[in-house]
Amino acid sequence: MRIYAGVLIAGLCLLGGAIPVMAHHSFAAEYDANKPVTITGTVTKVEWMNPHARFYVDAKGADGQVNNWNFELGAIPSLLKRGWRKDSLKEGDQVTVEGLRAKDNSYTASAVKVSLPDGRKVFAGSAAPGAEQ
Amino acid sequence: MKKWFFLSAAMAATVLSLSMVAIAAPQEDATPPERVPGKPPQRGPAGPTPRLSDGKPDFSGVWNGQQIVTEKGLVAAAGPGSAAEVPPMLPWAAKVTADRAATSYADDFEARCLPGTPPRIPPYHMSLFSTPKLVLVLFEGNTHMYRQFFVDGSDHPKNLKPTFYGDSRAHWEGDTLVVDTTGFNDISWVDGRGHPHTKQMHLTEKFRRPDYGNLAIDVVIDDPGTFTKPWIMHRVATLETGMEMTEYVCNENNQDPGHLDKAH
Repeated sequence: MRIYAGVLIAGLCLLGGAIPVMAHHSFAAEYDANKPVTITGTVTKVEWMNPHARFYVDAKGADGQVNNWNFELGAIPSLLKRGWRKDSLKEGDQVTVEGLRAKDNSYTASAVKVSLPDGRKVFAGSAAPGAEQ
Repeated sequence: MKKWFFLSAAMAATVLSLSMVAIAAPQEDATPPERVPGKPPQRGPAGPTPRLSDGKPDFSGVWNGQQIVTEKGLVAAAGPGSAAEVPPMLPWAAKVTADRAATSYADDFEARCLPGTPPRIPPYHMSLFSTPKLVLVLFEGNTHMYRQFFVDGSDHPKNLKPTFYGDSRAHWEGDTLVVDTTGFNDISWVDGRGHPHTKQMHLTEKFRRPDYGNLAIDVVIDDPGTFTKPWIMHRVATLETGMEMTEYVCNENNQDPGHLDKAH
């Protein structure tokens, strides 16, 4: 189900503009819908700021090295409309994030789905600002 | 008697707290039903159109992001600036649009917190404030800018300096506010798909508030320097009833330009 949803959202991003949502600029200029990542780790920081809220996750890579990932969410007005708040995610939370990696290959991604260990989703409905103008 | 009282109080409290949890739970992600192409768009709350002291419609309120609809008022099949709706362009404009598409719109200066000006749909909310002589539009997103529609019978000033937002003069036709805007510079994009415009662009926007919770904006872009015929768009917006506009400072933590430059 998770994989299907990820493919669906990636597909929607590729369609580019098929579903007009509130947003400001091109997703595809920064993120690659063909580079999905799934990262599990510890939240080190949440930036409840514009133009995009962000949160950072320490996660061990395949080589055992810990990398700090930078995940982008939607804008604060969009998150608030969906009922999410500044403390919906906290430093120290364990998360699994499905995202689409930045085209410049940095440890940056647009967050599509954020899950807590008990399966609860955080920031749902407001992640991965794709398919928008 | 006492036992019954405490039992029902406990049950009431349980029901209340469960319902509060249900109300507070944020939405799961899914395609909102109001955005299905070909279907009617979301409708705002019902009620009569508010009116000003002179009897004209009062547009005041916080409005959700505009949605593009067809002439029949159904959700448009594709987003702003999609190939289906754009009128034929002059060769220079077609080339510019194609060049911008080739980089996935990496040069979009909305990503650099510069103005995405009318007729581009502003992101997030906008707040309208009507008086009989002036309608003010405040934008939540992008550059935190505003527009002023002068409804005082005045004409556009001569020798307008070209600006991002142009100069707007408006008049009523029945319950429709017709806003005439000229004096644009040629820097901004018509939409997120990179369609350009020239300083000749002349915008006519017709605002209607058919009932309490709904706004309709019909847009005609007349720019013979770019398009071979006028580009007509229909948009709707619903009244935001759940929140006020937030303070949005685009430059606060804008990391996009760094990524855009490296990738291209």
